Amino acid sequence: MKYLVRAFVLGIVGYAVGVGLTMAIRGGGPTDEVAVVIGYIFALMGWLGGIGGIEAFGRQWVGKSVEVSTARGWRRYFQFSVDHKVIGIQYGVTLLSVLLIGGIAAMIMRVELASPGVGIVDLDDFNKIVSMHGILMVAVAVAGIIGAFGNYIIPIQIGAQDMAFPRLNAIGFWLVPPVAIALLMSPLLGAFNAGWTSYAPLSVTNESGQILFNMAIVTFGMSSILGGINIITTVITMRAPGMTWGRLPIFTWAGLATSVLAFAVTQFFAAAVILITMDRVAGTSFFQPDVGSALLYEHIFWFYSHPAVYIMVLPGFGVILEIVTTFSRKPLFAYKAVVASLFAIVGLSVVVWAHHMFTSGMANFLHGPFMIITEAISIPTGVIFLGILGTLWQGRLWFRTPLVIAFGWLFNFTIGGITGIFLADVATDIHLHDTYFVVAHFHYTIVGGSIFALIAAVFYWFPKITGRMYNEKAGSIFGVWLTVFFNLTFIPLFWAGMNGMNRRIGDYPDAFEGANKFASVSALILGASFLLFVGNLLYSALWGPKVGPNPWNARTLEWLIPSPPPEHNFTSQPVVIGSPYAYGVKGSVHAYFPDANEGDDPGDGSAQNQETVLA
Amino acid sequence: MRRSWIPVVILWVAYTVLIVVATAQFTWFPKEWAREAAVVDEAMLLLQYLAAPIMSLVMAVMTWSVIGWRTEGGAHREDGAPVRTNKIVVTTWLIVTSALAIYVVINPGFVGLAEIRGEPSSDYVINLQGQQFSWEVTYPNGATALDELVIPVDARVRYDIISIDVLHSFWVPAFRIKIDALPGITTTAFATAEEEGTFEDDVNLRIQCAELCGAGHANMAMPIRVVSEAEWIEYVEALATDG
Repeated sequence: MKYLVRAFVLGIVGYAVGVGLTMAIRGGGPTDEVAVVIGYIFALMGWLGGIGGIEAFGRQWVGKSVEVSTARGWRRYFQFSVDHKVIGIQYGVTLLSVLLIGGIAAMIMRVELASPGVGIVDLDDFNKIVSMHGILMVAVAVAGIIGAFGNYIIPIQIGAQDMAFPRLNAIGFWLVPPVAIALLMSPLLGAFNAGWTSYAPLSVTNESGQILFNMAIVTFGMSSILGGINIITTVITMRAPGMTWGRLPIFTWAGLATSVLAFAVTQFFAAAVILITMDRVAGTSFFQPDVGSALLYEHIFWFYSHPAVYIMVLPGFGVILEIVTTFSRKPLFAYKAVVASLFAIVGLSVVVWAHHMFTSGMANFLHGPFMIITEAISIPTGVIFLGILGTLWQGRLWFRTPLVIAFGWLFNFTIGGITGIFLADVATDIHLHDTYFVVAHFHYTIVGGSIFALIAAVFYWFPKITGRMYNEKAGSIFGVWLTVFFNLTFIPLFWAGMNGMNRRIGDYPDAFEGANKFASVSALILGASFLLFVGNLLYSALWGPKVGPNPWNARTLEWLIPSPPPEHNFTSQPVVIGSPYAYGVKGSVHAYFPDANEGDDPGDGSAQNQETVLA
Repeated sequence: MRRSWIPVVILWVAYTVLIVVATAQFTWFPKEWAREAAVVDEAMLLLQYLAAPIMSLVMAVMTWSVIGWRTEGGAHREDGAPVRTNKIVVTTWLIVTSALAIYVVINPGFVGLAEIRGEPSSDYVINLQGQQFSWEVTYPNGATALDELVIPVDARVRYDIISIDVLHSFWVPAFRIKIDALPGITTTAFATAEEEGTFEDDVNLRIQCAELCGAGHANMAMPIRVVSEAEWIEYVEALATDG
C-alpha cells in the first residue's frame, strides 16, 4: 500500500506543480484548460513514478540497478508488479469495477427513460451520463479480455515464463487508474456532454470536463499500444519449443490479431482528441468551419473507432472458440480457416470506417466502396461462426457456466451481426442511423460479443486463477438470467429505433413509452443479476472448493500446470508436440515436460484429486 | 448420433418458417408519408427475410446442442469425433456467405443507394438551418419560419441544409431520410410527400435532430404539415408578406 499512497501523493503534487508552473508563466486561473492539461501531464508522471516507476526505471537512469517488487500475497496487487499474472488480475479487477460503475450509469439512464418528460436528471445531465457510460464501457470492452486474460493466459498458453517486456506491461496497467480517475473527476469541470464519440465542433465548445476526457483517451491509448506491442513480441518470440504457428491455441491467435490492430490504429483516436485539445487551448482551427472541417474529425475518429469494435470482439471470438472446443471435446473445426479469418477481419476492419458516416454529408461517391467492404467483412465473420457451429456439431457437450454464457454470446452476436447488415446498407442506414436501432445493434455486438465473452472467460479461467471452483448452480442461473434480460432489454429498442426514436435523448415522444418502460424494467432486472455474479466470484475465491490443475480436462498449456500457477508458471520447460485440440485422436498429446520429476507432473497424478472436486 | 443432421434441418426449417410468418404478420415500420420511405421499408423487409434462415441455422444448432448433443460424464466424458475440418462444408459455406454478401450489396445496397442518394430534379428547394436548438426554414420566396415546416404534397422537395454552430442532423422519420447539418458545408436531401397530414396525425411527421448537439438535443424537433400545393403556395406568400 506504501507505493499506492506515494503514487497518489506524487500525483497530486505533480498536478499542483503543473498548474502552478502554468499560472506562473502565463497567468490565468487554476481551472484554465491549459493549466489542467499541463497539470494532468505532471500528475501522470508523478503517479507513474510513485507507484514504482522510480525503482523500475528511474534508478537505471542514474546508474543504479533496477528494483522490482518481490511482494507476495495480496500486497503485490497494489504495487508495480512485473508478474504478468498479477497484472492480469489487476486489469480484471479494475475493469470489472469500471463495468459496474458504467452499469450504474446505465441504470440511471434507463430510470430516466422509463417515462417521457424530464424525470430524475435534466436533459444536459442525461447527455453527460450517456457520455460517461459510453466511454467507461468502451474502455471495459477494449481492454477487458485482452488486458485481464491476454496478460494472464497468453504467456502460459505459449509456454513462456512471462511477457517479453514485463516492466512495460506494468506501466501499461498503471496507466489505467489515471484514466478512470480523470473521467470520474471530470464532473468537477462540468463533465463532458458530447458523447464518447466527441464529435467536433461540439467537443470544442462544451464545458472543460471535455479536456479530462481528452487526456484520459490519450492515456488509455498509450496503455493499449504498450499492451499491444508486448503481446505481439511475446507471441512471436517467446513460444515454447515445438509451439509452431499451427499449434498455437486459438485464444492466443485472437490476442495476437487484436494486438496487431490495437498497435496499428489506437493513435488515431489520440490524434483526434489532441487536435480537439489544440483547438481548445492553443487557438488552432482544425475543426472550425471554413478554415478546417468538422468532417475531418469524424474520419480520424472512426479510423480508430471502427477497428476498435474488432479490438473488442476478436478476443471474444478467441474465448468462445476455446470454450466451445473444451466443452464439446472436439477439435476446433476449420482451425486454419478461422485463423485466416481473424486476420482477414484485422485487414478489412481498417478500411470500413466511413460506414459510420453514410448520413454525415461526406462525398456521395464514397458510399458505394464503403458499403461493399463493410458487407465483405461479414464473410470472415461467418467463417468464425462456422468454426463455432462446426465444433458444436455432434459434440459431447457438457453444459457448465462458461458454455451457458457462450450460448448466450452465440445468440446475441448472431443478432448483432444480422442487424449490422441493416446499418451497412446505405438505404436502410439513412433511416436507422443515430436511432435506438443502432443503440440496440451495438449493444448486441459489444455487450453480446465482448462483455459476454469476458464474463464467460471469467468463469472458464476462474478455477485456474484462484485455484478454487465457483458455484456452478449460481453461475449457470446467472448466465441464463443475464442472457434473457439482456434480450428483453434491447429487443424493444430495435422497434423504437425503427419507429422514430433517436439516440442520446433524455426525453422522447409519448408514442415510445411502452417500449421504453419494458426496456427499463428489463434493464433493472439485468443490472440486478450482477449481484449474483459478483457475490459468486467473491465467495468462491475465498471459500470455494479447491480444484486440481485441470477441472475441465482441457488441453492447452495453462491446464497442465497447478492452479493457481506458480510464480514463474513452469517448473520445467514444456515441449509442444501436437495440436492443443486433438480431441478424439488416440494417444495425442499437446505438450509434455521432459525434465519433470515423476512427482512434479500434474498431468496425470492429480486426476483423482479433480474427480473428488467435481463430484 | 450419426443422423443428428435430420433434427437440426427440421429445426432449421421450422424456425425459418416461424420467423418468416412472424415477419409477414407484424407491422414493423411507422406509416410511410413519402415515396422515399417505401424504398427504405422495402429494403428493410427484404433484409429481414434474408436474415431468417441465418438466425434459424444458429438457433437450430443451439437447440439441438441442448437436446441432442448434451452428455453426462463431466470432465472425463468420452471425446467427440476428431473431425478437424471438412473441405466441402467450408467451401460451400464460403460460397453461400459470399453470394449472400454480394446479393445484399447489389440489392438493396446499390439499388437503394441510387434511389435515395441519387440527385433527381426537384420541384422546390427549401433551405434549413440548424442551430442550438431549433430549425429555421427558408422557403423559395425568402419567407422564414421557426415554428413549423409546411410542404406541398406530391412535389419533390430538395432540402439544402446547413448549421451555424455544431453538428445537427436533419431526420424525418416519416420520410425515412436523414442527413447531417454541418457548419460551413451545405448538404442536401430529397423527399416527396405523398399524403396530406400533420404532426398531430403522426408524431413521426417531424424534423428531429439526430446528432448529439448539446443540452437541448432531445427536444430539437420541428413539426411538419403536408398540404396541397395550392394551399402551400398561399401559405408561403402570406408568410412573406406578414414577415
